[in-house]
Amino acid sequence: MEISKFNNWFKEFGWRHLVALIFVVFAIYPILYVLTNSFADFANLTNSKLIPDSLTLKHYKLLSGNPLVPYSDWLFNTYKISIIAAFFNVFLGTLAAYAFSRLQFKGRRASLLTLVIVQMFPSFLAFVAIYLLFFQISDVIPIMGLGTHFGLILVYLGGSIGFNSWLIKGFMDTISPSLDEAAKVDGASEFQIFSKIIAPLTRPILIVIFVITFIGIYSDYILAAIFLKDKNLWTVAVGINTVFVDDFNADWGVIAASSVIAATPIAMLFIFFQKQITGGLTAGSVKG
Amino acid sequence: MKKSTVFRYLFLAIFNSFVVYSIPLTITFESWFLLSLILLIALLVNIVYFSDRFLPMKWILPGMIFLISFVVFPAVYNTFVSFTNWSTGHILTKSQVVNILESRTFTPEDQQGIEFDLYVFQDTNLEFYYLADIDDQNILFGKAVTFENINDSNFAVHEPSLIQNGDIIPPSGFNLLTGKDQIANSTTLQELSLVIDKNTRAQLFKISVFGASTGLLSSTSQLYTFDESSDSITNNSTNTICMAEVDNFVCDGEEIDPGWRVFVGFDNYQKLFSNQRIRGPLSLVTKWTFQFAFVTVLLAFSVGLFLSLVLNKENLKFQRIYRAIFILPYAIPAFVSVLVWKGLLNPDYGVINTWLSPLYEMLEIEPIQWLKTKESARSAVLLVNTWLGFPYMFLITTGALQSIPKNLIEAARVDGASSLQTFWRIVFPLLMVSISPLLIGSFAFNFNNFTLIFLLSGGGPPVIGSEVAVGWTDILISFSYKLAISGGRGNLFGLASTVSIIIFALVLLISAISFRYTKRLERIYGNI
Repeated sequence: MEISKFNNWFKEFGWRHLVALIFVVFAIYPILYVLTNSFADFANLTNSKLIPDSLTLKHYKLLSGNPLVPYSDWLFNTYKISIIAAFFNVFLGTLAAYAFSRLQFKGRRASLLTLVIVQMFPSFLAFVAIYLLFFQISDVIPIMGLGTHFGLILVYLGGSIGFNSWLIKGFMDTISPSLDEAAKVDGASEFQIFSKIIAPLTRPILIVIFVITFIGIYSDYILAAIFLKDKNLWTVAVGINTVFVDDFNADWGVIAASSVIAATPIAMLFIFFQKQITGGLTAGSVKG
Repeated sequence: MKKSTVFRYLFLAIFNSFVVYSIPLTITFESWFLLSLILLIALLVNIVYFSDRFLPMKWILPGMIFLISFVVFPAVYNTFVSFTNWSTGHILTKSQVVNILESRTFTPEDQQGIEFDLYVFQDTNLEFYYLADIDDQNILFGKAVTFENINDSNFAVHEPSLIQNGDIIPPSGFNLLTGKDQIANSTTLQELSLVIDKNTRAQLFKISVFGASTGLLSSTSQLYTFDESSDSITNNSTNTICMAEVDNFVCDGEEIDPGWRVFVGFDNYQKLFSNQRIRGPLSLVTKWTFQFAFVTVLLAFSVGLFLSLVLNKENLKFQRIYRAIFILPYAIPAFVSVLVWKGLLNPDYGVINTWLSPLYEMLEIEPIQWLKTKESARSAVLLVNTWLGFPYMFLITTGALQSIPKNLIEAARVDGASSLQTFWRIVFPLLMVSISPLLIGSFAFNFNNFTLIFLLSGGGPPVIGSEVAVGWTDILISFSYKLAISGGRGNLFGLASTVSIIIFALVLLISAISFRYTKRLERIYGNI
């Protein structure tokens, strides 16, 4: 009797648990492995294992205060670039979205359609031209030339502003126009309607778009790698992939520690905003 | 005047002074494309913000400037570059090349090897000064400078008072260095010279511990002279005339480096499509790009769909925990996961080969050299990308499954359909309606998944015997990157941007198919 009960359970639920567990291992193994290894007290990759015998913080300590591997600088650079670029991206995108959503003008449909078409092509496709363009900008305006954060931020600004204004515009369309008409009757200026009514009501989506843009820029490799030559100006993505791959075996603990530091905040942000990020916004190209 | 108006004019004043400042510089550096970009933006900004007629543009323009400058404009510029020979050795414009060549010098034979006594001094700042006793009329004293500073240095002056009856009288504040002191500083002194006139300089040649050291005089002349009327340069050393050919000056059949950049028409395209040794790699890469993007979407989608079907069961325990864990790989930045996977896959120390070692022993085969052979590298790339991609597919298929009306499935069951039939005939077609645009989007994303390929395998292992740097897992964008930046065979910007143009064309094609297939454009248009 017991056996047939188990069989029934297995047919109904048990195999599902079995399959799910196999993929749980597949999904989580690399993550756990790197997490435990970042605290593990072994010398290198060769004798690494999932469950370490003893724990240590030495890999994290090695990351701070090593002039050859300025990891804290890279972290700072990455956050600085991503926050500034994502902020202005959302800010300028919101301004444009307001015009597209609330103002009537000739060429509005055409320009919206152009936005959609332009954004089909990721900006890094023209990386040769971007490189050569900034190579020339370096001569004329050195502070925003090749190798500077300023220039890189400008490139990131262009990269997703069209897509973002499109998304924000869609959200603004759902806000009833009777609100701003009432304000207009009360004598509010265009800018006041924007800053006092529309922008505050759009705030939830603006935060989500800020987070998505932030994660996208944080994870970018190709543009940062082309742009930044000076080690102290690198972002994390460029840094850990350039410095550590030379001696993978010996650096393994430090690689693990730097991976944990680089990934944890992003993973937490992502999980926190998971519903919104994967909800209406996924167009297959949101995350890199 | 209103406050906002004051602010606006102030902004325009600053902006325009910036424009006026940068225009002459772009002309000096002959950056014509940059100049046209700056002029275009300046024009737009001034039209929109000076007049009150373009109100909507005032909102749109700030963002649009960046879109134009760094997305649209580079695409245009990229097309332009693809029609040039822009590459290492052909980076500069012709007039810049002429300038460089005209500043080159050589030492004529009759000016070589004049020796004389040389004395070395140091001032209180520990800077070195030379005194060159060439002849009675030329007892020359001055600061010794490094090679880079030769053109900015003052010429040495005739100071006969420093030598009296064969004795050296150092000027006040200066200290005469003995031979031993000179030896101690010899690495620095080797780099220094005393500039006598535009073409002549003196260097320390031999240090003598007893008595005066020996200096050597070298006199240089301009090596090349440009003649505009015949469009040629003359080599003054050998007296040969070098004519300007297409993109180089050529002397007796030998090209002078550097050359300059010129329009080459469709040369780059022709090279890519007809030069056998470049066409081969290109078609290989193109084929793999499609295979990679297709298989990767197929694998991730299959795993994702399978898992969401497995979990799509009422009263199944731990559902939420499973879901939360399946999302994790998607939450981690790809550059981190790829690096970690690279460690796990390491053939000598990685955990994957440790796991597989019993299997290797059982089958008596050599351990797989992950990422080092064509097949293993391609499998690894697909494996890692499946890991990266299945959570997204799991999420979207779960959502789509839940939105399929339950009564549809029940109706099929009542009519006697098996569960397999129900899935393939009803659930799957309905699923594909909402999922297929996302699958095409995912295909397009992976088509240019540079981060994965470049960081995991670097495009490698290399294809042996190819004229350009290319590997078995290179996709078009990483191939283009290698041509332009990191292939180790110079910067082939012209050729790389031609490959980029091919990617543009293919992305356009994919999008056109997707728009047609999913009628997305109509929906977008309806939405506007």
